[in-house]
Order: sequence, then structure tokens, then C-alpha cells
Amino acid sequence: MADALHTLSAAELGRRLAAGTLTSRALCEALIVRYQAVNDKVGAFTHLDQADVLAQADASDARRKAGQGRGPLEGIPVAIKDNIAVKGQPLTCSSKMLAPLVSPYDSHVAERLRAAGAILYGRLNMDEFAMGSSTENSALRKTFNPWDLARIPGGSSGGSAAALAAGLVPLSLGSDTGGSIRQPASHCGVVGLKPTYGLISRFGLVAFASSLDQIGPMARSVEDCELLLNALASADARDMTCFGPSDRALTPAGDAKQLRIGIPKGFLGKGVAPEVAAAVNAAVEFYRAQGCAISEVELPSADLAVPTYYVVATAEASSNLGRYDGVRYGHRSATAGTPVEMMTASRSEGFGPEVKRRILLGTFVLSAGYADAYYVRALRARAKIRAEYLAALAGVDVLLTPTVPTPAFKVGEKASDPLQLYLEDIFTIPANLAGLPAISVPCGKSGHLPVGFHLVGAPLSESKLLAAGRLFEAAHGYADQQAAL
Amino acid sequence: MAEGFDIDHLAKLARLSLTAEEKALYSSQLSQILGHFQALANADLPATIDDARVVDEAALRSDEPGPVLGAEAVTRIAPASRDGQISVPRVVDDES
Repeated sequence: MADALHTLSAAELGRRLAAGTLTSRALCEALIVRYQAVNDKVGAFTHLDQADVLAQADASDARRKAGQGRGPLEGIPVAIKDNIAVKGQPLTCSSKMLAPLVSPYDSHVAERLRAAGAILYGRLNMDEFAMGSSTENSALRKTFNPWDLARIPGGSSGGSAAALAAGLVPLSLGSDTGGSIRQPASHCGVVGLKPTYGLISRFGLVAFASSLDQIGPMARSVEDCELLLNALASADARDMTCFGPSDRALTPAGDAKQLRIGIPKGFLGKGVAPEVAAAVNAAVEFYRAQGCAISEVELPSADLAVPTYYVVATAEASSNLGRYDGVRYGHRSATAGTPVEMMTASRSEGFGPEVKRRILLGTFVLSAGYADAYYVRALRARAKIRAEYLAALAGVDVLLTPTVPTPAFKVGEKASDPLQLYLEDIFTIPANLAGLPAISVPCGKSGHLPVGFHLVGAPLSESKLLAAGRLFEAAHGYADQQAAL
Repeated sequence: MAEGFDIDHLAKLARLSLTAEEKALYSSQLSQILGHFQALANADLPATIDDARVVDEAALRSDEPGPVLGAEAVTRIAPASRDGQISVPRVVDDES
């Protein structure tokens, strides 16, 4: 049985742990064997402290034996993107600027996972400071798509998605600023959910663009994704945007077969690969056959989403990344002269090309003489996009589109063209701009490459998105597919 | 809207030192990206930005002391420290 544990869902592993037919130690040992066999091929993890993992597993087994199990995640490993703080583990954001920083504190989500009895299992590769859509911007290592090792896994949470698809871990955490959970989930054939802005505390998440960033769960099945979401979502006064206890009740899921599904006009047209459009259209027909009401909706300002996002996100990033000055933590240049020379040299040596590009862009759109033309207009466009999405969601329960226009591309194919990479996020960005929950669910293949569809709902409608995903998943079985490695 | 920009000025504002090759590359790429942003200049947009916020961030939490990391944890992750304090290059000249 041990050699198949890496293929099982978190829910099934939880059942075996609860029944006493499996221990957390045996599970973690099996996953470490899997790690040793395939991580060098896939490159999902940047760090795994095996002794610490086994110590956590032994503590979990002891709790369970003493009748002090902490719930459905007790003893289950959860791997964490390297921009989310776990005390005593590296916190590098896959950047030379931070490596080899070890976090002195736990993020809120790490605290929640410990309280749930989960095993905090290793650090996952990402685009540097979460800036990218392919994980090619990592300064630490390359990550490859388990379905085709010549292709990118998506990004920025590429390690989080690739680890799931490679059977390296049953659950992972990602962060999503413009699609960084959902786009790699689609490319790797797994499930990824970006929660409503404010549902999960970002305390301990390294800031990229604070009005857009969210932490979210990733898993091989919708059921597992929900299991992890339930453990993470709770009030936290340390993140001032996190909903208080009285404001965070999720809308009931209702009957998924009664959902009203809106298809945004024109979204399946230009720029969407035919195989992607076919897989997403088949998902629409599935829901129609189940009894869901399908209708077309108008989102006239959708074309503004990408430029709006890249103005807002880079403006916020240029401000947030101002803290990396070589003084308190992170890289300090050895060529230091005056304090300003030290800061400039430290930043120039520590940041990679995409981070520098976005800092420069963000600095420009906020600079005197240009802020009104770029940043303020982008905020006005954001208000318009949000209003259009909320209006559309007043008439339907969810909006259904592809997650990404095309399947995973080859490593290096778009490395010299940042604008083409930015367009990867065309369907995922609006949910961040509008603060809405969204999920990517596997729905087929383009050749041998996974394709996902994308559902967006009204604020706090996560239960509806998950119910819709479960309905589809139960009929199609994509959660049981494994990449051959 | 996509007017020219001064890459040297931007780099100075961003505290980045760029090589000649980097300046040429970023100038070209930023021009292309800013060209894509032209859609914003031509759009019919609402007059205010009030609805751009997705949650109400106006309310401040109460100003109460909470747990802190402490000097030992902070200096352990600092690039350089001495006597329990972070050390930095000299800020004030001897003559001043």
C-alpha cells in the first residue's frame, strides 16, 4: 500500500488515519520516498526538512493515540509556497534578495494549520516575489510541468501546483494576486481556489500588491480544496482587511444543479485555443444537462482588466518592495559605501529581471506628472470592472470561462516577451480586481496537457463554487488522474 | 498617454543601478507595455475611485501593544549586527 499513498486524496488519507490503518509517520515516509524519486525532475520543492517532517508526524500520531486529534487535517502534510512564513523554515520568495532567510515567526495560516494538526511540509518554488506566470522567474531553481517536463507549470504558484500533480503532497498553499493559484492549477490539472478578498488573513504573507493578494488552497480534488479552505478561513486582527467574525459567513451552496451560470460574451473567442474552448464548452453543456440555467452576460470593460491590473499591481509592488534596502533583513551588498549606495547596490544585486521591470513600471505610473494618467485612471477602471462583475453576478450565481486561454507553453517560449506572459492572466485578473472568489477545476485535455475551467462568484460564495466543482468532478473523475513520472 | 520616460530618473527613484544593456532592454519593454496601457486613456471611466476598494479599510484597529519578535530574533536575521543592534554604513560624516 505504501507506494500508492502519494496518489490518494487528503480526504481518503484522513479516513485511513482516523481508522488507524495508517499513521502520519508512514504517510510522511512514503511521501519522502516520492520526493527523493521525483522532485529533482519536477523541481517543485526548494526545501524539505525531512527530520522536522517526521518529528511533526510523530507528534501527530501521539496526539491521535491520546485521543487528542485536532480534526480532518490531523497528520496530513500541507506544502507551502515560499512567500508564506513558517517559523524556523526558509522564507525566500525564490529570490536572492531573501535567501537564505529563515522566518522567525508563523503566518496566520501556518498557525491555523498547526492548530488543525497538519504537517507543515516543505517550501514550494515560485516566481520571484510572486511576479510571473511560469515559475521561470525563480532565482532558486526551475520547476517543470509534471504532465510534460519540457513545459512550464504556470505561476507564480508553480511549485504548489506541480507538487500536487507529481504526487509529492496531497495539499498545498498558494497565493494569488492576478491568477497565481488558478493559472498553475489549470496548467497542472489540479484544483485551485482564490478566496474572497478578506476571507483568509495575509498576516505572514510577503506582500506583493496588497489590494489584490490572497492566500488560497490547492489540491487534486475539489473536496480536498474545501477541506483546506475550512481550516484556513478565520478572523485575524493582524490583517486589517481580514473580515471580522460577524462578517464572514459564506453564502449557502444550495443545489448545484439549480445554479444559474453566466457565460461572458466573447470570452471563448479570440485568443482561446480550440481545444481549450472545446473542453470548456463541454463543461457548459454538462451543467446545462444537469439542469443549470445557462445564459450569456455582458462584461463590456473586460478588455481593460489586464492594463488596469498591471498598473495597480506594479504601483503597489514598487511601494511594498521598497522595504528591501539591505538594512534589516535580506541581501546586503558587500560593495557598500554610503547608505544610499548600499541600498542601491543591495537591491540591484538581490532582485531579478522581472522584479526590477515591475518596480520600474510601478515607479513610473506613480511618478509626478504620470500618476493621474496611469494610476488614478487604473483605479477608476477597477471601479468600473468591479461594478460590472457585481451587476452580472446579481443575475447569475457564477460566471464560467476558461482559466487560461492556452495550455502550458514550453519552457523559455515566452521568456523574452513580458507582455505575452501578462496576457496569460486575462481571465483570472478580474476576480482579483473585484475582490471576488474564483476557482479553477480540471475539465479535460488539450493533447496531453490539462485544461481547466474557471468559476467566479459573488463575495463569500465559495460554497457555491465548490459545489459546482464537486458536481463536475464527480461525473468526470479528473481528480483521479496522475501525471506519469 | 504612453509618453517617453527617463530610465535613469526612474532607476534613481527606484534605487536600482542598471547596466547599459538593462537600460536598453527595460526601456524597450516598458514602452511596449505602456503602449498596451493606452486602452485606459481611451476608456470611458467613472469620475471617482470610491468603488475601487473591495473592502472597507477605513477603520483602524485600536492602538494596543501586542507581541513583538524581540531584539535577538530581529538581529539574527539582520545582514549585520553588533551588541544587539543592527549595524549600517556610517550615515553622518566625521566633519559634520
